[in-house]
Amino acid sequence: MEQSEATLRVDAVTKSFGDFCAVDGLSFNVRPGRIFGFLGPNGAGKTTTIRMIVGITVPDTGTIELFGRRINGMTQDHIGYLPEERGLYKKTKVVDQLRYFAALKNVSRKEADKRIDRWLDRMQLSEWKNKKTTDLSKGMQQKVQFISTVLHDPDLLILDEPFSGFDPVNVEFMIGVLSEFRESNKTVIFSTHLMETAERLCHDILLINKGRKVVAGSLREVKESYGRNRIAIRVEGGSTLPAEFPGVVSVTEKADEQILDLKADADPQELLKQLVAAGAKVTKFEYVEPTLNDIFIEQIGGTK
Amino acid sequence: MRKFLAIVKHEYRKVVLKWSFLIGTLLFPLLGAGFAVVPAVIFSIKGEPVRIVIVDREGKLGPRIRSNLSPEKIAEKQAEALKNTSFEPTAAPKSANSLESVTAGFVFVPYDAKGKPDDEVRAELNSMAAEKEIDAYLMVPSQMGGKFEFRSRKAGDFAANAMLEDAVNDAVRSEKLTEANITENTLRHINEKADIETKAIDEHGREKNSDALLAASFIIGLMIYLSLTIYGQVILGAVVEEKETRIAEILFSSARPFELMLGKLVGVGLAGLTQLGIWITSLALLVGFLMLQVDLAPFLAGAPHITPLMVFYFLLFFLLGYFLFASIFALIGSMVTTVQEGGQFAFPPIMLMLIGFYFSFAVIRDPSSPLSFWVSIAPFWAPITMPVRILAETPPFWQIGLSILINAVAICGMVWLCARVYRVGMLMYGKRATLPEVWKWIREA
Repeated sequence: MEQSEATLRVDAVTKSFGDFCAVDGLSFNVRPGRIFGFLGPNGAGKTTTIRMIVGITVPDTGTIELFGRRINGMTQDHIGYLPEERGLYKKTKVVDQLRYFAALKNVSRKEADKRIDRWLDRMQLSEWKNKKTTDLSKGMQQKVQFISTVLHDPDLLILDEPFSGFDPVNVEFMIGVLSEFRESNKTVIFSTHLMETAERLCHDILLINKGRKVVAGSLREVKESYGRNRIAIRVEGGSTLPAEFPGVVSVTEKADEQILDLKADADPQELLKQLVAAGAKVTKFEYVEPTLNDIFIEQIGGTK
Repeated sequence: MRKFLAIVKHEYRKVVLKWSFLIGTLLFPLLGAGFAVVPAVIFSIKGEPVRIVIVDREGKLGPRIRSNLSPEKIAEKQAEALKNTSFEPTAAPKSANSLESVTAGFVFVPYDAKGKPDDEVRAELNSMAAEKEIDAYLMVPSQMGGKFEFRSRKAGDFAANAMLEDAVNDAVRSEKLTEANITENTLRHINEKADIETKAIDEHGREKNSDALLAASFIIGLMIYLSLTIYGQVILGAVVEEKETRIAEILFSSARPFELMLGKLVGVGLAGLTQLGIWITSLALLVGFLMLQVDLAPFLAGAPHITPLMVFYFLLFFLLGYFLFASIFALIGSMVTTVQEGGQFAFPPIMLMLIGFYFSFAVIRDPSSPLSFWVSIAPFWAPITMPVRILAETPPFWQIGLSILINAVAICGMVWLCARVYRVGMLMYGKRATLPEVWKWIREA
């Protein structure tokens, strides 16, 4: 991937608060048309990094470029940012809030009104247009917040823990919108500590811990680089069998199957042959990819 | 700039479109109107003239009473009553509408009582009243010291009744005086009160009415103090709301914190100006209305002379005070986590304002003292004390200019300080910032 094609380039960025170094020499690129998962445990520096990207805070050292330009007030208008902790004005009408947020992103009033109607209609919130926030349910408020993030048709969408507190219907809906974004060659960054979600949505991931990069790359590459010899088997008539086989490092018992970790150079085919030869009736024999969760625990757990 | 205007507009609308603003804005003029205009309007609805029969067998008191009830005499008494009322701004509309002006007067119905006994006269007059030919009758006793008999269909018309009573008393008194060989004029001369007139003299040697001045200065000081308190709290509430709901994070990702803070100060400040403007306009309309109703000239002659330049100064000093205190309130708002917590921290600036308000009394008492000079150029106090001083005794322009300059510099300092705390504080959730922390933000930001 050529560097110039990146939507966002973060280069050796460091940010400290007093003695505490929240982000430490972090570098990464985000490519257009991709969903980028920004992963890490709580306190890893995700929000601090995002705040620097959206221009809320300034890095101590290092540079951040968006579309090849250093971030400034102008680049802010191209970013849609949904913070982790988010809210709305309590006593302001939905439409007035949305108009205000759109105006702050330099969207003209006429264009804003058109988009507000379209989005409210899409979110099935049209009849709530002139209601105050306090009249809305939590799920509706989340939808309104999301609308405020995309009203100015941003080229880069940054969502910080977007699904925390969302009900499953809203989550599915948002995932649909994110896919549309990607299809129109826009870029989505979302930070989460939910590995299942990340695994499902992301093309690229960046795992950070204590302000430093731990793992980065496309989901495929990352998984392959962490590829281990792990097999799930279900055998009828003989659960004590596997440990006796050569090449098996450990066995984890699950409800109705066993997870075998093999030596790196062990051949699973050999294991299967041996099992069959030993008279076991194999009903399941499957190669198991490492999940992001495994990688997360392995990496973060190890550095703690 | 477009974003800045959007922020100003948003903040302005947020304040002005609230019910509390509407009520607060309308309540003040409405109360004023209620106290001044409504009684005036009600009393200006004059009743029908009272058709009255005066039965006077002796022929002595009757003509006197009649002449006392004539329109000319009534007007004369009214003018006299007005003159004797000492000036009190609040009492002005009431005394101007004293009872004499509200009755349509009396029409004397001729009736011949000669040769009829009292009982027959009563019976005849009663039946005339019952048939609504007359409204009332008065029977004058044949001897001095006897009982007057007044019978009226409209016994509730207290204005007419009071006038009649006055007329009868006056008639009896002048009759007695005539008997004692004393004229009405001699008596009036004897009864005249010593007239003490209290007036201040301004620097041009012109006289001013000190009572009116005191009242007007007090009202101006109070108005500015109250507006500053109210709009300071509005700012505090607005800042805390954005922090509490985490909207600040979205805002900061869209516009510069300084722009946001200044936009908020300007927007809410314009709302305050709107309210003050409505108040001043309605006050002017009120005075205009009263002038149409009654002749206010005798009162206005004593009232302080308020020039358009003074009004401009008041608004200017209101704005200076507003920006000074609003930036303090914004600073507090970005330090705390809830409105309640903000309320506790609002105590010092409110105290500061209150001291300024108290100083304005010292200024009213002696506008040219060194104390008045210092407090009217001191930052934080000048916005309250200087307008009072301008009204009481306009100081030389260099002092007003100095005061504006010092306070403008103070505003720049406060806004700068506030912007630094605001930037960091608005994103600090969870706990209230301590003063050392705030100091650190100011130094590091």
